[in-house]
Amino acid sequence: MRISRPLWKTLFLAGFTIAAATPCTSCVTVRPQERAVLADPTMQFEGDPQASAPLNHAIENREGSYGGSGVSGGGCGCN
Amino acid sequence: MQLKARLRLASSLLLTASSLVVSTEARAQVAEFDTTHTVYYEAPFRTNMFVYSPSTDLKVTPVDALTVNAGWEADVVSGASVAVKAGPAYQATHPAADVVTTASVHDFRNVAHGGFTLRKDTVTFDANYAYSTEHDYKSHAISAGAQTDLFEHNTQLAINYARNFDFVCDRTQAAQDPPARYAALENSDGCFSSGQNPLRKTDDIAIDGLQGSWSQSWTPTIATQLIYTAQITNGFQADPYRSVIIGEGIKAQEHVPENRAREALAARVNFFLRPLKAALRIGGRVYWDTWDVKSGTADAELEKYFGERFRAEVKGRFYHQSGALFWSDDYSGGNSPLGPKGQYWTGDRELSPFSSVLVGLGATYAVTPEKRILGIMSGFKFSLSLDALQFIYDDYTLGGSEVSSSRAYIANLSLAFIF
Repeated sequence: MRISRPLWKTLFLAGFTIAAATPCTSCVTVRPQERAVLADPTMQFEGDPQASAPLNHAIENREGSYGGSGVSGGGCGCN
Repeated sequence: MQLKARLRLASSLLLTASSLVVSTEARAQVAEFDTTHTVYYEAPFRTNMFVYSPSTDLKVTPVDALTVNAGWEADVVSGASVAVKAGPAYQATHPAADVVTTASVHDFRNVAHGGFTLRKDTVTFDANYAYSTEHDYKSHAISAGAQTDLFEHNTQLAINYARNFDFVCDRTQAAQDPPARYAALENSDGCFSSGQNPLRKTDDIAIDGLQGSWSQSWTPTIATQLIYTAQITNGFQADPYRSVIIGEGIKAQEHVPENRAREALAARVNFFLRPLKAALRIGGRVYWDTWDVKSGTADAELEKYFGERFRAEVKGRFYHQSGALFWSDDYSGGNSPLGPKGQYWTGDRELSPFSSVLVGLGATYAVTPEKRILGIMSGFKFSLSLDALQFIYDDYTLGGSEVSSSRAYIANLSLAFIF
């Protein structure tokens, strides 16, 4: 299947943005002894995957959008 | 029989993982067992849906460099959904008739999944497989991902790819009939019966998903994440059971494009508020696809500690989307925005323009004592959440009647045991 031009354009822009921003991040240093809060369960972007997956599954089946949280699949269950 | 075979597959996966646990415990290494139970309920105007979803997962880390996981989940579905969708113009010309019909829905979806994660230094690789089956839908999903930490673990870059090989049951149509004469699937009897029922056929759906993410720690209490997701779906994407009134006395099975390319860009920022001993998580997402559905999402969560073990969470989310290019509330006629929209038609409210508002509460009790509980358990976690999701439809009606009480409730109980 042919991928539309806007998709390629967006992929390129996303890659370029990350590549351009990565060097800027090298000057940001949170030392290991300062990382206790960042390692706390409440500061994880994935949250509690076991608890949040069913809510995300319900929302995806009731809205026309997708993405921004994960790419794993596994059936429909969406009548 | 097929269902029993899938359950046997799930059981064997869990058994395999359980045997790993035994050997793991003997060597005092780490395993985690999770179980969740979720109930979804909604009863909007003329329809209703009740879904109970149990799941179990087991993760075992026999050596630092390897984690193996296996699990099972299910959806037990019952309710009533729209079988024939018509709009206000058609209802106005047939005032004596009820032009919208509903049908009962009963289904049982089973998913067995397994995978592994490999770690070396600052790089992580993972691969997973899931098999899902229900009366009218089967899915094989594979996914693989890689993640690396940079700059003293302050930067994480991750990339994931997923591919679904899905199959949906459909009704066989007469070869000479155009889509405007297609009949909807009456029920799932005879689905996936290897040609034994001439009125049943199987359609393919291929789904490719790609995701890249960049997570960054900026200070000891602030972290951000940027995620880009792309997905391409090719195949039968309509609801095979639903028909739409597209003209005077003409109802036809939903007919939507076979290809859909979807993209989303999401950003999140997490703050830890030391004086409150709470984390504030704020996120936003924009989405667009080749069916011309565009959406924006904003959400916020505040999770606060009360003591060392208990924390409570409050969350809110707002979502708005535009309708698909070919969506119409009435394809049979009427003034714009009603009327036909070219060669496609759908009665799917998820493709109509609408907003949704979610509010939720949650609580977690987590214990990680210095000494093992009962000599084997190094910790456990208990989580409970309740969410309410209100839908506000801009144009979607059932024969001109607004869909009132369009509110869903989702309750979730989650337990985790760490060994």
